Amino acid sequence: MLSRVAESLFWMSRYFERAENTARFLDVNFNLLLDLNKITHVENPSYWIALILVTSDKDRFNSIYDEYSARTVTDYLVFNKSNPNSITSCIGLARENARSIIESISSEMWEQVNNLYHYLQNVTPQFVQNDPYGFYKEIKNASHLFQGITDNTFSHNEGWDFIQIAKYLERADNIARLIDVKYHMLLSEAKSQPELVAGSEDIIQWMAVLKSCSALEAFRKVYLSKIDPDNILRFLILDRTFPRSINFSVCAAEDALWRISGSSRHRYVNNADRLIGKLEAELSYTAIEDIFTTGLHNYLADLEQRLVKVGEQVHLTYFAYHSPEIESTDIEEALPFTGIAGGRANWSQAQQHQQQQ
Amino acid sequence: MIRFFERYEAETCQFFDEVISKEGTPRPHYDKMLHRFGQFSVDDIKARREIVNIFFRNQGITFTVYGEEEGVERLFPFDLIPGVVPAHEWQTIEKGLTQRITALNAFLHDIYHGQKILKDKIIPAELILGSQHFRREFIGVNPPLGIYIHVTGSDIIRDGQGNYMVLEDNLRTPSGVSYMLQNRQAMKRAFPVLFDKYKIRPIENYPQELLRTLQEISPVSRREPNVVLLTPGIYNSAYFEHSFLARQMGIELTEGKDLVVNNNKVYTRTTRGLEQVDVIYRRVDDAYLDPLVFRPDSKLGVAGLVNAYRKGNVTLANAIGCGVADDKVIYSFVPQIIKYYLGEDPILENVPTWLASNPADLKYILANLGSLVVKAANESGGYGMLIGPESTIEQQENFAEMIVANPRNYIAQPTISLSRHPSFFNDTELFGCHIDLRPYVLYGKTVTIVPGGLTRVALKRGSLVVNSSQGGGSKDTWVVDE
Repeated sequence: MLSRVAESLFWMSRYFERAENTARFLDVNFNLLLDLNKITHVENPSYWIALILVTSDKDRFNSIYDEYSARTVTDYLVFNKSNPNSITSCIGLARENARSIIESISSEMWEQVNNLYHYLQNVTPQFVQNDPYGFYKEIKNASHLFQGITDNTFSHNEGWDFIQIAKYLERADNIARLIDVKYHMLLSEAKSQPELVAGSEDIIQWMAVLKSCSALEAFRKVYLSKIDPDNILRFLILDRTFPRSINFSVCAAEDALWRISGSSRHRYVNNADRLIGKLEAELSYTAIEDIFTTGLHNYLADLEQRLVKVGEQVHLTYFAYHSPEIESTDIEEALPFTGIAGGRANWSQAQQHQQQQ
Repeated sequence: MIRFFERYEAETCQFFDEVISKEGTPRPHYDKMLHRFGQFSVDDIKARREIVNIFFRNQGITFTVYGEEEGVERLFPFDLIPGVVPAHEWQTIEKGLTQRITALNAFLHDIYHGQKILKDKIIPAELILGSQHFRREFIGVNPPLGIYIHVTGSDIIRDGQGNYMVLEDNLRTPSGVSYMLQNRQAMKRAFPVLFDKYKIRPIENYPQELLRTLQEISPVSRREPNVVLLTPGIYNSAYFEHSFLARQMGIELTEGKDLVVNNNKVYTRTTRGLEQVDVIYRRVDDAYLDPLVFRPDSKLGVAGLVNAYRKGNVTLANAIGCGVADDKVIYSFVPQIIKYYLGEDPILENVPTWLASNPADLKYILANLGSLVVKAANESGGYGMLIGPESTIEQQENFAEMIVANPRNYIAQPTISLSRHPSFFNDTELFGCHIDLRPYVLYGKTVTIVPGGLTRVALKRGSLVVNSSQGGGSKDTWVVDE
């Protein structure tokens, strides 16, 4: 498989998953604020700033808006085109990647990306404000539909494995960030209203985090109604069977990587396999107490870093192939791993517009 | 007269009409078609239009218009009434094109080897050596089988008497063949009954024929040569065609950055390492192929590709430097070229052409700008053209200046009254639209022409320009056995 095709499959999948998770972030925040409307109001900036903090986008946000509110944060995360991680940008980039490999994916997959893209072109901020639940549901469903179509119309070979790697790396990263949202909220409240941190509002917040991962029902089946932070974190980080837990996602990414390279538990053949294997092993032997010893926020930050490293190695191993005996004839080095695979097409756009006979 | 055609004005005293003869009766090979269309109501036509539109939209058959807002994709306009070419007329076209392409290939081989034709003064040497498409670096290079022009698409028109003439030879990267194939698919869906009434020669084997041609020119005799298609990328107006052909042939669609040259061999970068490439069907212009040799700023090409090609480790289709033979100035010499290399008279005629580089012709051109079509020698796609009768005095003066400044770059032709073909307007009435025909010629061990081509139609009422970049559309083209 051409490296470029593999890379486009990877980013198509990754951007789609990212759009879904951003929808989940926003959805949970709205729900949370509605649940808590007795004690705080929907515009409480500390709830909205958390969403910007976990996407590591504070500077860019501040250069565009001057307050943290439902309106500005929604605009930034849903519509803003200068934010490469907004839902609109992500779906645009997913479509751009799909378009460049349209001959490699199934036409059903293309139609689904294309449909969602055109749906988003017609959505207005007013529409989202009137029915946030309906809008985020639409995005989540579109993503599920895309994954379902992919599983059922696209051969489960190497290309499919790249789609899986991208999906699960992105998902693991996003779950870590989502948990971190809660951490940031706790932090800001501990400063302003210490009594909230231990109260029933705390449980409501944790339930919201579970809901945003579609995990509340699955959690209850395991832990019944014993909703306490330890169990919730154990479930979201360490559970091996729930598809929106970090451990599950890392295992799934590992499986896909190993299928491509032929690595196994006792033998790895490249650094991507080594790093993902190491991460998976550690997660398998981690207890929740270990996480608290490290400190939740630090643990998550480290996890995110390691997921980025895996992504970099996937890039170096499969996409930026460069055998040592080849002199560097590349005009432009392969893309850095900053995640704008779709944007890369622009640099040669003018030249592609050659006249045709 | 039959419905839709009762109000159709063929204007046969002014134009050659493809369907209606001078006597005002349908030509025999259109008889059954008119009969069938006569059974349709306007609603029937609209319903069939919808079938066709859905087909094109689902297939993603769109093209991009440059100069408009980025990413504007449009459906390629399509007319429901196909052009019909009876077998005996097709035979002339087929023989004529085979002769023409064989001669042009011999010409290219000569130009890049002994240059006999220049030494014999059949063509003034400065016209060749001064052409911007002449690549002196390729003198002495031997492409496999001695073939330069593997895929060509010559534009054929009919004059006022209905004679077939060649308007243009596209020897570099002719596009449009995917529309030829998809138009046929769309017509089959919309008019299955009509297909039953004609013996239409199939064209669906074009991708296999193309692949066979590309495999035949492989530099290695490996059992399965590795053939790839090189596209400029997704922003190219013909990108759909590139991905369509790659999919149909089952070969990799590559961009410049997918390829790498090492030790004068070309490889694709794959997730499993490098794989050697034997044949590149390139849809990238010469100038962008290799930044080390041509435009250094090219992001579309592959550094080192030209050397790999010169070493004979990879074959490019078409070869580099073919543009020297489809230049509009050289075009005027094609009858002599055919005579010189084959000793035959041309089967298909040329359109009379005046060369601005020739002082007597230049005088004539400048005096008659209002009635001539002036073309820049090296442009394509309907750009850089002055259509005398439709131009303003100011435009004419502009062109006069440009012509005097660079006479080598301009030619003029009489405004030919291109033949017309009834086409639908708003699905309710028919009017006569100018058409031309682009058959696709494949040249490997033999010359192959699939029976058909892309009939391009100027759907803007009265317009003479059929290029898709200028608002033209297309029709399905049927070669029928009587």
